[in-house]
Amino acid sequence: MDLTFSPSFVLPYLPALLRGLYMTLLLSILCISIGLVFGFAVGLMRNGTNRIAYACSTIFVEFFRGTPVLIQLFWIFFCLPVLLNVEIGPFVSATIALSLYMTALASEAFRSALLSIGSEQNDAVLALGLPRRVSLLHVILPQAFLRALPNLLSNSVTLFKESALVSAVGITDLMFQGEIISSATARPIEVLTTVAAMYFAVGFPLTQIVSLVERRVLRRMAI
Amino acid sequence: MSGYSFDFFYVLNGFSRLLQGLIVSLELTAIVVGIGTFSGFVLALATSSRSLFLSVPTRLFVEIFRCTPALIQIVWFFYCLPVLADVFWPPFTMGVIALTLNLTAFNSEAYRAAIQAIPAAQRDASIALGLSRWHQAIHVVFPQVLRIASPVLVSNSISLFQQSSLVAIVSVEDLMYQGKLLAVQTYRPIETFTIVALIYFGLSFPISQLVGRIERYNARLLA
Repeated sequence: MDLTFSPSFVLPYLPALLRGLYMTLLLSILCISIGLVFGFAVGLMRNGTNRIAYACSTIFVEFFRGTPVLIQLFWIFFCLPVLLNVEIGPFVSATIALSLYMTALASEAFRSALLSIGSEQNDAVLALGLPRRVSLLHVILPQAFLRALPNLLSNSVTLFKESALVSAVGITDLMFQGEIISSATARPIEVLTTVAAMYFAVGFPLTQIVSLVERRVLRRMAI
Repeated sequence: MSGYSFDFFYVLNGFSRLLQGLIVSLELTAIVVGIGTFSGFVLALATSSRSLFLSVPTRLFVEIFRCTPALIQIVWFFYCLPVLADVFWPPFTMGVIALTLNLTAFNSEAYRAAIQAIPAAQRDASIALGLSRWHQAIHVVFPQVLRIASPVLVSNSISLFQQSSLVAIVSVEDLMYQGKLLAVQTYRPIETFTIVALIYFGLSFPISQLVGRIERYNARLLA
């Protein structure tokens, strides 16, 4: 067996790997968007006065943060179709699982951001007679979002990395393509290193953006 | 809802196998956390070194392990290390190596932030006392950063316990692996995966509560 390292070996497989990367990015962006919306709602419930909403949201968040993402994926992939008696494909079940995980992560970021908004703002909103919907969307959300931004971004990087797990339920993402190609060609070093480099090429700029935003937000908020 | 009838009989019959898997998971986590807690500190010293020969490669190491999925790291070591280094270690060892490097990278970031929090006056004092750089690092800096960084270190260790479920993919017989096997053999994925998820949760949750305690204790101590 020829074991010399030849990077050019990967070239014919690049289109397949790029298709995988496209799938990874699509799934990540989809789940991050869904997770941000629900995460804000769950964050509000965690800070709210409604006892039942608080209990339900706390259990949800602790459970999704306290179990491996792999088991969440398997649980939804294998169990949800049986329990609800519906056919859902791997893509839908992976989207549900990662969205729920992102919701749990984002809600924690929103919760601590919401806590840092002064209570006098609530009084001001009341004094101005703003309805709850307006005060939420135009007063609370913009501030909470800005303060939560560094954490939300690093949660997004985490989700991007965790999305590699969906290969275990048969989604043709970057990880899946890499594993298939490396075992079909018996050239793991070239293929898997390329896959790692592609993940790094997306992940590294993202983490740099996170630390840039962190410094900016901290300076603006003067915390 | 479908008329799914739960039956935990088969799963409970295989419970001893799940426990065996759990022991493997805990063993893996204990080894990795044990090494990673110290090696992370050494790496943090190297990354903040003034010598470029030391700081540039180590920073690159940290970024590579932080910006790529843990799954690709494990799969990479599993397939590529035997070819590159001509060693044939069992999957467990490969899992330990990959996860240790991963945790070391994350811990070193926690330590780096903590090292910056130590006042410069202490360095002057160490020099005045004639401590060597090594003694200064071990006896002056380490005990303090260990306490300052402990909340992040503990939550990194919890994440690692959850990430350890990934070694099931390279057929280490951990809790996740045994759970998957049991689910397939008994045709009872719901019951099995629920119990496996509960085991992971039951171990992670109390420790994550501890993090909050440490944080409050540290805040009181520093105030």
